[in-house]
Amino acid sequence: MIQWLVFLLFSALAVLSALGVVLLPNPIYVILALLSVLVSVAGIFFVAGAELVGALQLIIYAVAVTVFYVFVLTAVPWEKALKKDSHYRVEGLLSFPLVLLLYLEMLFVFLIGVSVSPKGQFREFIVKFGNTEVVGGILFSKYFLAFELVSLLLLIGMIGAVIIGRKEAQTYDNNTP
Amino acid sequence: MEGLVIWLIVTFVKILVILGIVLGVGAYLTLVERKVAAHIQRRPGPMVVGWHGLLQPLADGLKLLTKEDLFPRYGNRFLYNLALVLALVPATLVFAVIPFGPEFEVFGVKVKPILTDVNIGLLLVFALGSMAVFAIALAGWASNSKYALIGSMRKAGIVISYEVVITFAAMGPLILAGTLSTYHIVQSQIEQGLWYVWLQPIAFVVYMFAMLAETGRVPFDIQEAEAELVTGFTVEYGGMKFGLFPLVEWYIEVLSLSAIAVVLFLGGWSPINIPFLGFVDPLFFLGPLSPFIWFILKVSLLFLFVLWLHWTLPRYRIDQITETAWKVMLPLTLLNILLTAILAPILWR
Repeated sequence: MIQWLVFLLFSALAVLSALGVVLLPNPIYVILALLSVLVSVAGIFFVAGAELVGALQLIIYAVAVTVFYVFVLTAVPWEKALKKDSHYRVEGLLSFPLVLLLYLEMLFVFLIGVSVSPKGQFREFIVKFGNTEVVGGILFSKYFLAFELVSLLLLIGMIGAVIIGRKEAQTYDNNTP
Repeated sequence: MEGLVIWLIVTFVKILVILGIVLGVGAYLTLVERKVAAHIQRRPGPMVVGWHGLLQPLADGLKLLTKEDLFPRYGNRFLYNLALVLALVPATLVFAVIPFGPEFEVFGVKVKPILTDVNIGLLLVFALGSMAVFAIALAGWASNSKYALIGSMRKAGIVISYEVVITFAAMGPLILAGTLSTYHIVQSQIEQGLWYVWLQPIAFVVYMFAMLAETGRVPFDIQEAEAELVTGFTVEYGGMKFGLFPLVEWYIEVLSLSAIAVVLFLGGWSPINIPFLGFVDPLFFLGPLSPFIWFILKVSLLFLFVLWLHWTLPRYRIDQITETAWKVMLPLTLLNILLTAILAPILWR
């Protein structure tokens, strides 16, 4: 009962703020609405008993990703942030059927996944070992190759960022008299 | 149904107690800070209002509340006020996962002195700690002032770099305890008869550095920098709105991070530890109250340590701060995780 109420609260908040992300004119408000979406999705995870996923949602999406948007936007002067003509209304209308199609496909895949996935098998593990241990166990046994590949990808991304961000020795030579 | 009602009542009482303690103590810590600072500089400090200035926080609060509420022209009023909420709420929410003592029984109801013993408590601490960035960035942007913006950018840079460091520093105790729940970390320290600071000295020092940086204490108070930036991102705030930012940053966050440090490294509510042998409790005569006294004692010692540094050291430059974070602290914590991975199986045996 209480669970349903909290779930409804968070999901309504998520949907409302998602509308805000699309419709609000001021970019800073858009970022805040995005933050609100991510936090309420984390809330839904907490209600569903997936504490680890909820906490990771908070740390990675609500903080680490959104902070960089805020960083970029705080460097924008406020007169420019209030511009209202930057929305592509016609393009948005034209692409609407495609978006609808994509959503239908997502729904379809989701329903197939629900019908195929094992029911209630993980529940006892989660009750017995706790969220974090179960996720760690699955990650390091069944999905080990995928896990290693993803970490390799992150390493490559990090090296790329370091190469882009380093100072060029020639450019900064101090050869002025 | 009756269980639910009891649970609701217990939770409500817990929330009231925690909020009362945090906000009340937070207000009175201003007096502690002024007194300690004064005595470090061989001054008496506030002496006029009440005995040795004991009523000074009340007088300050009244003064701040009755001040005129100024607002910068062309600022964004909604975001300007939202920043206050965004600063206060995550900082106080952290106290939801801090265990104040062992489980005890009142009127036949077992009570754990922790609001929610979720099994990912530490992750929540770090997530909420990083949420402070939004408040700072918004406060700087909404004020429409270049000093505030520079201050908030500096602070946000520091918080981002040190949030990474503090998370990695906490990994060592996590590996040793084998759990993310704050309550069980303390439990496993008591069972193993070992404060983790004995095995994790590097992580403890790094954690203390990161704590000073996150809370904007000297030597990392570059976002404030009175001499160059007036007072950083709080420059356009007035009255109690101005008072709230230092209250959150300097007192509530220092308190919560010291409490987490006590939980991770100093054995929570356990008495003095002799490594691998057991615990010695000079306060045994207090009976069931002694764990709580120990917890409070340890947190206040850490808080006084922070004050001592604040009023002794000069300030770093911004590039020095971020360079230390990425080039010294982060490699040190990674080294510490490696060492812990070698040590941990010996401890678990």
